[in-house]
Amino acid sequence: MLAQKPYGKFVSSGDPQGELMPSAIVHSHPRTLLHRDFISAGGVLLIAAFGADYTYYATALWQWANFAAWLITAGLIVTLVAVPLLLIDFMTGRAGRLNSRSFMLVAAAAFLSLVNAFVHSRDAWSSVVPQGILLSAVSAILLIIAGARGWSLAHSRANRDRP
Amino acid sequence: MNTSSLRSTAALVSLLAIAACSSKGGDPARQYGADPYLPEPHEYLLPPMSVPKAVDWKAGETPTVSAGLTVEALATGLEHPRTLYTLPNGDVLVVESNSPGTEPFRPKDFIAGKVKARAGAGAKGGNRITLLREADGDGKPALRTVFIDHLYSPYGIVLVGDTLYVANTDAILAFHYVPGQTQITSPGVKLADLPAGPIDHHWTKSMTASADGSKLYVGVGSNSNITENGMAVEEGRAAIYEVDRLNGAKRIFASGTRNPTGVAFEPQTHQLFAVVNERDEIGPDLVPDYLTSIQQGGFYGWPYSYWGSHVDVRVHPQRPDLVAQAIKPDYGLSSHVAPLSLLFSEGQHLSPAFANGAFISEHGSWDRSPLNGYQVIFVSFVDGRPVGKPTPVVTGFLGKDNETVHGRPVGLALDRSGSLLIADDVGNTVWRVSATQAGT
Repeated sequence: MLAQKPYGKFVSSGDPQGELMPSAIVHSHPRTLLHRDFISAGGVLLIAAFGADYTYYATALWQWANFAAWLITAGLIVTLVAVPLLLIDFMTGRAGRLNSRSFMLVAAAAFLSLVNAFVHSRDAWSSVVPQGILLSAVSAILLIIAGARGWSLAHSRANRDRP
Repeated sequence: MNTSSLRSTAALVSLLAIAACSSKGGDPARQYGADPYLPEPHEYLLPPMSVPKAVDWKAGETPTVSAGLTVEALATGLEHPRTLYTLPNGDVLVVESNSPGTEPFRPKDFIAGKVKARAGAGAKGGNRITLLREADGDGKPALRTVFIDHLYSPYGIVLVGDTLYVANTDAILAFHYVPGQTQITSPGVKLADLPAGPIDHHWTKSMTASADGSKLYVGVGSNSNITENGMAVEEGRAAIYEVDRLNGAKRIFASGTRNPTGVAFEPQTHQLFAVVNERDEIGPDLVPDYLTSIQQGGFYGWPYSYWGSHVDVRVHPQRPDLVAQAIKPDYGLSSHVAPLSLLFSEGQHLSPAFANGAFISEHGSWDRSPLNGYQVIFVSFVDGRPVGKPTPVVTGFLGKDNETVHGRPVGLALDRSGSLLIADDVGNTVWRVSATQAGT
C-alpha cells in the first residue's frame, strides 16, 4: 500500500487512509478549538453594537445608546473569556500555528471596542455621535472579516500538519 | 503575540492616563461672581475625578472656622442628616435622608455606585426628622426625639402658621404642629405630588415659603446629568415650582435650573433666590454652579445651554429658540462645588462681616481634580444683589492631603441665638458655629 521511493518519502498508493503516517492519524479528526465560539459570540455582540448605535443616530431614542453600551460591555467580556481558552487550545495541542491575520483583526476590534466602551460612558448624544458610532463601525467591519475567515484565531493542529 | 498585547496595553494605559490627567482644574476664584471664566468644553474617555475616601471624624476633631468663631458638635450619630430647620421655640429639626435608590441603567452606573460608596455618599438615610431641644447654657441638646418617622427621602421643610410642610421626594406632606410638640405621629396629609420616579436621579426637593405664607416654592432637579436618560423623563423636572399652600395647585415658576438644591427669599427685597448645581463631564472648570435670583417664567438653560447661551452639544435635538431665551445666572460659585443649602443671614450674629448676605454650603463632588467646595461660604449682598468674592467661613471637611473626607456640609440654619448650624452627612453630625465669647 505504501511504497518507499528511493529518496525516502512515502507516496500514496491510492488508499486515502494510507496517506497518513500512523502517528498523524491520532490528529486526523481535528479537535474543537475552545476559543472559537467565544470569539464569534463576542464578535456578534460587538457587531450588534454598531446596529444599536446606528439606530440611535437615526432616531435619537436614548434606549438605543443604552443598548449599544451594554452590547459593547458584554461583547468585550465574552471576547475576554476567549483569551484563556486560546491559551488552553495552544497548550493542549488543539491549536497549531496562530492565525495571525484573524488574530490582528479581532485584537484591533477588541482594542477599539474597549476605547468605545469609554466613549459610550459619556452622556447623551456625544456618547455615540460621532466617535462612538465611528469606532463601532470600524470594529464591525474588522469583525465581519474575521467572521468570514471562520472566527478562529489559530489553525487547528491537523490543518497545520496537512501538506 | 506577547509583545503586541503588551504594546496595546501600554498604549491603552497611556491613553487613559492622558484622558484622566490632562485636565487639572484651575483657580476657582476665576469663576466667582457675575462674569466667570468659561473654558472650552472638553469630553473625556475617563472624566477627571478624584474620590476622597470617607474617614470618620476622630474624637475632638472638628471643621475649621475663621477667626472669631467657634465650632462644636451639637449632635452626632445621625443617619445622613441633610436639612436643618429651626422652629420658633428654638427646637432644631434635622431631616435625615438620602436618595430613594436608583437601579443601574448603564455599565457606567455600577462604577458610579462604587465611587459614591467610597466617598461616603451611599449611606442609607434615616427617612425621618429628629428634633433637638437645647438646654440653656451648656450647648448640648437636653432632648433628642424622633419628631416624624417613616418619611420617603424627605428634604425641604418649612413651617407656615401651625402647619409644617415636609417635601418628600415624591410629594409635599402637611403636618399639624403645636408649639412645643416633640413628636408627630399622625400621618401627613398630601398637599401636592412632586416629580419623582422613575429614576429620580436628582431626588432632593428643596422648599421655602413666600413671606405671606400663601405659596411654597420647591426646587426639582433634573432626571439625569445631561438628558442621557431621554427627554421623556425630564418632563416637569429641572424646575422651580410654585405651589398654592391652601389647595396644592402647582405650576412651574421657572425652568432650566438643572438641580436647584436650595431656595430662599432675600429678606430685604423678598426676591426668590436659588443655588443650582450645573452639569458635569465637560471639564474640571465647567460648568460653574451658581447662585441666582429666580425670575417668574425664566429659563436658565438646562439642558440646551449653560451660563446663558453656551450650547451643550451633548443634547440632541438642539433648541436654538430656547438657547436664545436662556438667562445668565447672577453669580458663579465655581465648578463642581455642589452648593446644597442657601441661608440668608438676618443681621449680624456671628460677625459684622456676615450681617448682609447668604451662607452657602458646598457639599463638594468628585467630578474635579483638585477637589473644589467642601466648605461653607458667605456671599455678601448689597441692595439685594450678590457682590464681591465669597468668604470661606467653615472649612477643613477634607483631610489635609485631600485624599480623605471627614464630612460634607449640607443643610444650614440659624439657631435661636443666631449661631450657624451645619448638617454634615458624611460625619453624621450637626455642627454649631458661634461667635467666640469674650474671655474664652
